[in-house]
Amino acid sequence: MEYKLRKAEPKDVSDILRLVKELAKYEAMEHQVALTEKELLEDGFGDTPLYHCILAEVQGEQSGEDPKVIGFAMYYFTYDPWSGKQLHLEDFFVMEEYRGHGIGSEILKQLSDLAMKTRCHGMQFIVAEDNEPSISFYKRRGAEDLSTAEGWRLFRFTENSLYKMAASTEE
Amino acid sequence: MANFILRKAESKDVSDILRLIKELAKYEEMEEQVVLTEKDLLEDGFGDHPFYHCFVAEVPKDQQSSEGYTVVGFAMYYFTYDPWIGKLLYLEDFYVMEEFRGFGIGSQILKVLSETAVKTRCSSMHFIVAENNTQSIDFYKRRGASDLSLEEGWRLFAIQKEELLKITAK
Repeated sequence: MEYKLRKAEPKDVSDILRLVKELAKYEAMEHQVALTEKELLEDGFGDTPLYHCILAEVQGEQSGEDPKVIGFAMYYFTYDPWSGKQLHLEDFFVMEEYRGHGIGSEILKQLSDLAMKTRCHGMQFIVAEDNEPSISFYKRRGAEDLSTAEGWRLFRFTENSLYKMAASTEE
Repeated sequence: MANFILRKAESKDVSDILRLIKELAKYEEMEEQVVLTEKDLLEDGFGDHPFYHCFVAEVPKDQQSSEGYTVVGFAMYYFTYDPWIGKLLYLEDFYVMEEFRGFGIGSQILKVLSETAVKTRCSSMHFIVAENNTQSIDFYKRRGASDLSLEEGWRLFAIQKEELLKITAK
């Protein structure tokens, strides 16, 4: 199957949001997507991008048709106080009908290339424990489950808790 | 004791930051994993494009630690992006030296981080805690934190450099 990978541009925010929602649906959490195209535009293509995207595109089925965005990876750089810069892979998704053609592998290869070029010490990402196809995909390529190996758990303070703490005047 | 200030870290603080990173790693029994140097911390935190930010807690000279340190606590954080809700504040490291605990320094650091998150329009603050670190888990839960690994089943994965190189060579 012919496809190409490219950096996302401002015109792609509508496709990015569509794929973010498809991935959330795959994780059975579609209702949690509150982000808008406007926010994606400001946050990804302003002076200080908060995220970056690689897109996978195929040719339109009929001649004259626009190319179609059928996969994406959203990433940003984080910092590990033990080893330094890391690439954090936030979202990674290929539409179902386009899987099995090596697109996911190629995206991961590009991300690995980028991580090496930007002097990152590793790539980190979060996977749902019941997402066996993805866990296998990553483990086949050398990923380790640090939650199992080292006992790390992800915690969150939501906006409400943040407001309460910011406003507090005592312990 | 009660006197301490919280302030933004400056480039002169990198040696204290590294010392506290190592102390926290030792507390987590992973001290040998710290390969970062002061030079890395300087370039990565105080160059044109900072990859992290720090607050440090400092006591007056007359209250210095038993080994003579006045920087007694720190928090390292940066901004991340959740494609469902947008900008997040990610708390990467958070530590107060043992002899300075119980005086509200940790609470004050968390307060300043929360203010920062709210000011910079973050929807949430995320962080990782080791499951056997019950003291820290209680500290966070008392302040409203939820365990997303438990509630939503998220696990942290990593592909280390050697494996990344293998992938690029394919």
